[in-house]
Amino acid sequence: MSGTHLLETLINGLISGSIYALIGSGLALIYGTTRVLNFAHGELLMLAGYFILMFAVTLGWPVILAAIATIVLVMVLGALLQRVTIAPLMKREDWAFSVIAATIGLSIFLQSGAQLVWGEQYQGVPYFFHGVAVIGEVRMPWQRIAILVVALLVMGICGLILYRTKLGRIVRATAQDSEAALAVGIPAGLVHTTVFAISAALAGTGAILLSPLITVNPWMGTAYLLKGFAVVILGGLGSFGGAVAAGFLLGLIETISVAFVPSEWSNVIAFAFLIAVITARPEGLFAGRGA
Amino acid sequence: MLEVFGRHPYRDLLVWTVLLVVVPFLPLDDYVLHILTLFLIFAVFATGWNLTLGILGLKTLGHHAFFAIGAYASALVSHYFGVSPWITIWLGALAASFAGVVIGFPILRIRSMPHVAIVTLAFAEIVRLVLSNLKEITRGELGFWGIPPFDPIPIGARTIEFGLGNAFGSFAVAAVMFVGVHLLLLMLLKSRSGLTFLAIRDAEAAAESLGVKLAAWKIFAFAVSAAVVGLSGAVYAHYVLILTPSSVAGPDMLISLLAMIIVGGVGRFFGPIYGALLLTVTSELLRDFGDYRMLLYGALIVIFVFAAPAGIAGLKPASWRKRPGAASKPAEAT
Amino acid sequence: MLQLDRVNVHYGATRVLWDVSISVGSGEMVAVMGPNGSGKSTVLKAAMGLKKPSSGVVSLNGEELQTKPATVRPQRGMSIVLERRRLFPRMSVEENVMLGAYVRKASEARETYEWVLEILPEIKPHLQATAGRLSGGQQQMVAIARGLMADPKILLMDEPFLGLSPAMVKNVLAIMKTINERGVAILFNEQNAKLSFAVSHRGYLLESGRVVLSGSGEEMLEHPEVKRVYLGVREAAA
Repeated sequence: MSGTHLLETLINGLISGSIYALIGSGLALIYGTTRVLNFAHGELLMLAGYFILMFAVTLGWPVILAAIATIVLVMVLGALLQRVTIAPLMKREDWAFSVIAATIGLSIFLQSGAQLVWGEQYQGVPYFFHGVAVIGEVRMPWQRIAILVVALLVMGICGLILYRTKLGRIVRATAQDSEAALAVGIPAGLVHTTVFAISAALAGTGAILLSPLITVNPWMGTAYLLKGFAVVILGGLGSFGGAVAAGFLLGLIETISVAFVPSEWSNVIAFAFLIAVITARPEGLFAGRGA
Repeated sequence: MLEVFGRHPYRDLLVWTVLLVVVPFLPLDDYVLHILTLFLIFAVFATGWNLTLGILGLKTLGHHAFFAIGAYASALVSHYFGVSPWITIWLGALAASFAGVVIGFPILRIRSMPHVAIVTLAFAEIVRLVLSNLKEITRGELGFWGIPPFDPIPIGARTIEFGLGNAFGSFAVAAVMFVGVHLLLLMLLKSRSGLTFLAIRDAEAAAESLGVKLAAWKIFAFAVSAAVVGLSGAVYAHYVLILTPSSVAGPDMLISLLAMIIVGGVGRFFGPIYGALLLTVTSELLRDFGDYRMLLYGALIVIFVFAAPAGIAGLKPASWRKRPGAASKPAEAT
Repeated sequence: MLQLDRVNVHYGATRVLWDVSISVGSGEMVAVMGPNGSGKSTVLKAAMGLKKPSSGVVSLNGEELQTKPATVRPQRGMSIVLERRRLFPRMSVEENVMLGAYVRKASEARETYEWVLEILPEIKPHLQATAGRLSGGQQQMVAIARGLMADPKILLMDEPFLGLSPAMVKNVLAIMKTINERGVAILFNEQNAKLSFAVSHRGYLLESGRVVLSGSGEEMLEHPEVKRVYLGVREAAA
């Protein structure tokens, strides 16, 4: 592997890793606060893809405006998802599996629904950023670099909210001991809804960044969901920072593995790595610092 | 116990057997028999999965991998080595069972439900990808065709033929498997070992303190469950005669089977059978509206989780709870 | 001010409280004493709204609260120190304490904060430490501080002495007295009869989810039944 090629591989790994981190950190935030595995998270990503398509392409809005509208809309959907389906199930004794089953059902329902509404064809969104960056001998489209930069920025903002604001403090309190949080007067239900909205915003950001590269289709969320869960586990269940780190790690493992095996095997390696890690370290690679 | 098996499980199984014996002699067209054959295969699949999901209480989400392993193992061996499918289906079950033991070990190390769900799901994804990537052997997503049907059996002057297009023979094989598997499982579960399974589900810590070797039991349950699912996959392969990785190990298979179990009743012995019957028939009725099938499955899962978490099988025994002697008031606070 | 009137609580199908009636007057220190599994923790949880009663009335200053969520209690002047401290383990001590004032204005919280640090000077050196790393006794101080930050008129304390060293038990007792002398009513529960009734104005004895005895602290200590069953056994063992 030449120096240039290595550098390019690393950058590509960080770029796909940033998408995994966006999706995984949202799932981790939800899991850390509510102990829920949200299998419909991928569909929030997919719906955000269609929203950006609608706003930026069909309606021709400026990219920034379209992105903001998409994020707001997907946050509302995330909050709604929590209020309507998950909150009522959480009151049950067997909620852990009920929630998994219900969100799996919802996920496939939304996929087929999207297929009926928008059809099966893959729809392209044009690049938001044009041109190619030249770093030494490495040539990289700005659109791809933007993915890394924007993802880091958005996750940074989320980190700041979590660790530096009152909202973040009550989210972390609920995550660490929900009964004690309730006892000091923190409304756990509202916190849960907020967390779903934030995590939807993270997925929505991922969708906006991805849509010009992979085209929008009803199944675009599925591939990323399992990766997202892998990231949650690798990062230590429920740890926001751990999930971000694990997301980048998973991206790097995938791109580096492509240098040694045909690309269709990279996912096999990623998931085998996940199972190996769980066997050796069930608490994850970056456990310790919870949400 | 009553909740899991119902009052007279052997009698219920006998009723199913009688119905299955009668069906081929009814004036039904081959298409109906074809649907019923699919139902029987999926019912065995669903029962096998329910063994870990409902009866042992391990929330695994990757049993479609065992179905695919059973199907492909049997299909590949019979195709490439000319071995009779009558033999290879057992190899398929064995291969799936072996895979079950292999994936059972990482699962033993973890108690948290999310870990179990995600590990098994990731395992299924690995199996799908491997089957689809080994193109020289499986032809990948183009589909593996040329799978031999079961060898014909001559009975007197007649010969029973099998495979797609031979409705009677195929139905007979599926029915024999259905009755055999359910009978053996019922005997297993009603024995001492069966009680152990239920003890593990209801109170893992208590079961351990009673001296139950949890690890060995869980591996055993995984092996049995995977073998049953693998057998159903193998019989499926020699019936439909073409396999693709995404059709047997893809998310649609996961959703369909999950829907059958949830609609039928998680953790009820006969539940998945009802679920499989209802959903196989409904999805055939909806065949002309192909796009709606998954929409329906998704909606059914959500509706049943909310409105009838015990499934169809849970709707019936409502009258049992009022039996005399059960004077204690049902829980007011839940 | 706090009144539980014929409160019943079920866990699933199991009934754990049977028509329990308990009252705490303004500025009173009241103990609920009972053996393991008698339901004394449930009494406090039902009062706080962390466990919903299946029937009965929980009222604070005449306002019925049994159907309202736990989160309204701190606003009405009631807070709780949960069993086994239950701090937010990965937050700093200061964050833990300040979260106790979640329902209050920042300016008011500042004033209470000074007052709380004056009563509990022991936590001052540890304000920036991670709460989960402190010793049991230190954690109990933080938990009390957190409970006081709501500026409660009544403080519930669930097993405040559990797992503490004898020296620390004395310390906590002294703090409870100080808090009480400043006009905060306290309702706490405890297994040990001496600990329960020596410091409290009034007490209740709970057995199998029922109130079997009540009276002033001295009456309870002098009661033959308490002496025989609870003090006798204790003294013989000690």
